[in-house]
Amino acid sequence: MSVLCEFSTRRLADTARAIRRRVIDVACASRCPHVGCALSCVDILTALYFDVLRLEPWEQRDIAILSKGHASLALCCTLAEREILSEEMLAGYFRDKGTLPAHLDRFSARGIEVSTGALGHGFNIGLGMAFGFKQQNSDRKVFCIIGDGESQEGSIWEGAMFGAKLRLGNFTAILDYNNLQGYGRPKDTCCFEPIADKWEAFGWQVVEVDGHDIMALTEALAMRPDNKPRMVIAHTIKGKGISFMEDRLQWHYYLVTEELKQKALQELA
Amino acid sequence: MRNTFANAVMEACDNRRDVFICSGDAGLGVFDDFQNTHSEHFLNMGVAEQNMIGFSAGLAMTGFKVFCYNIIPFVLYRCYEQVRNDICYQRLPVVLAGIGSGVAYAPAGMTHYSVEDIGIARTLPNLTVFSPIDPAEAACCAEYALDATEPVYVRLAKRGEPGIHKDEQIDITLPCILRTGREIAVITHGAIAAEVLAAADLLQEHNIYPRVISVTQIQPLNLQALQSALQGIRTVMSIEEHFVGSGLGSILAGAWAGQKNAPKLLMWGIPDAFIHAIRAGDRMREEFGLSAPQIADRIKMLVEKGDE
Repeated sequence: MSVLCEFSTRRLADTARAIRRRVIDVACASRCPHVGCALSCVDILTALYFDVLRLEPWEQRDIAILSKGHASLALCCTLAEREILSEEMLAGYFRDKGTLPAHLDRFSARGIEVSTGALGHGFNIGLGMAFGFKQQNSDRKVFCIIGDGESQEGSIWEGAMFGAKLRLGNFTAILDYNNLQGYGRPKDTCCFEPIADKWEAFGWQVVEVDGHDIMALTEALAMRPDNKPRMVIAHTIKGKGISFMEDRLQWHYYLVTEELKQKALQELA
Repeated sequence: MRNTFANAVMEACDNRRDVFICSGDAGLGVFDDFQNTHSEHFLNMGVAEQNMIGFSAGLAMTGFKVFCYNIIPFVLYRCYEQVRNDICYQRLPVVLAGIGSGVAYAPAGMTHYSVEDIGIARTLPNLTVFSPIDPAEAACCAEYALDATEPVYVRLAKRGEPGIHKDEQIDITLPCILRTGREIAVITHGAIAAEVLAAADLLQEHNIYPRVISVTQIQPLNLQALQSALQGIRTVMSIEEHFVGSGLGSILAGAWAGQKNAPKLLMWGIPDAFIHAIRAGDRMREEFGLSAPQIADRIKMLVEKGDE
């Protein structure tokens, strides 16, 4: 179990803030949407890439999959902060003749494990990888971030039913439950709740955490249960960290202007 | 075809730890023993096609050579986006082994026919597509797929198709001249090749000898080799157990459009419409003029009409 001291917790919070500054910077420079979706999962990615994931040796690394691929900006900024992705690569995000598309292409850069963007894909690929590692008696683990809107995809529940049957204890899904999808709230869109009960009924070990409490996240993500796959429901806020973006539907698509960037960076100072 | 293909893959599992078969709740009579004797090589993925394809992509990313076995609609249609994004876009060595080509399962109904799969498969870059004509070719496709480092789709019929090849070496990557002939060439693929050859037999008494060419590797298509096989031929008829508008004939039409020395092409196959006719097994082919006597008549008419 990973128990972080106060010092490293503060360091991780600083790291998350640095990643959010990058998100705002790149979003403004590239005029890309999905800024709110990216900001909600920054703390999750920070916990993964700066504490939970085993990244050395690279060939034996744990795998993190961003199944909600439209939040790629958060992943790319995290990879840059972790120095897996170069600054030059990041500067070419969503740019003409650039380096990184707005939805993930695994051939575009080291550290992008799976090509995602269409929802309900990365989750099932992750299950396959976890099964492969298990077959090879490898201790590599797979972590996969899905969105709440994404949870409406049928493929998620096909995989949910299957992952428990295969007893994939090396697989952890993280639900970035920011409570706002593209055009509404999950509970207003479908019969979303009780989401924890649903996963439990599908045979998963379910943990609920504050998705912006990095210490809680690292603990939830580090602990290994029995042979059950795990679902960490991370309660998050869309646009987290920027007051005028938080919990605002518009920030699924709104663009960061130069003026808004300055305001946002002041809040992240 | 189905069994020779599956047998070749299952045999490979004796020597290779990396070969894995995912079945979409299909395979009665095919994997019955294997799933017990080789449980570390086999999973029944249940009735969940999207998961099967995505999962197979992930398994392939950890170094496995994965075969997805199901009827064609369930390896290609239901899960098209998974095949596109997870397997083809990511360029993974997953093999889609689809059974029930054309109307092989008649009169099972339209949901279980595969008359547009070539049209769908050709929209997928990185995907190598095979349509074997007999069990021997199906086994060759399995061997090819076992060594392939990229995605492969194999269009199989069912069981009990007649053998066409004798003991000769088969190269499934090249067009194959099954019958030599001068006046006209017939290009075909898949199990319907047996009807085309029977038609060629019928035509002998009329002194008509079409050159019969099978194209097993449909994508990428070796056009140069096909042009060599067509040397001296001015009229080509494509005959396939597939929608005429999106099959091999349409691929040839596209490839030859605007080409100066391209042969005259006539396309024959199943009309692009949902099938409501209820005909048993091979008799369904008669519905679309794809039985041997009907094919023979069509070729005869064409030859007698000359080069108008």
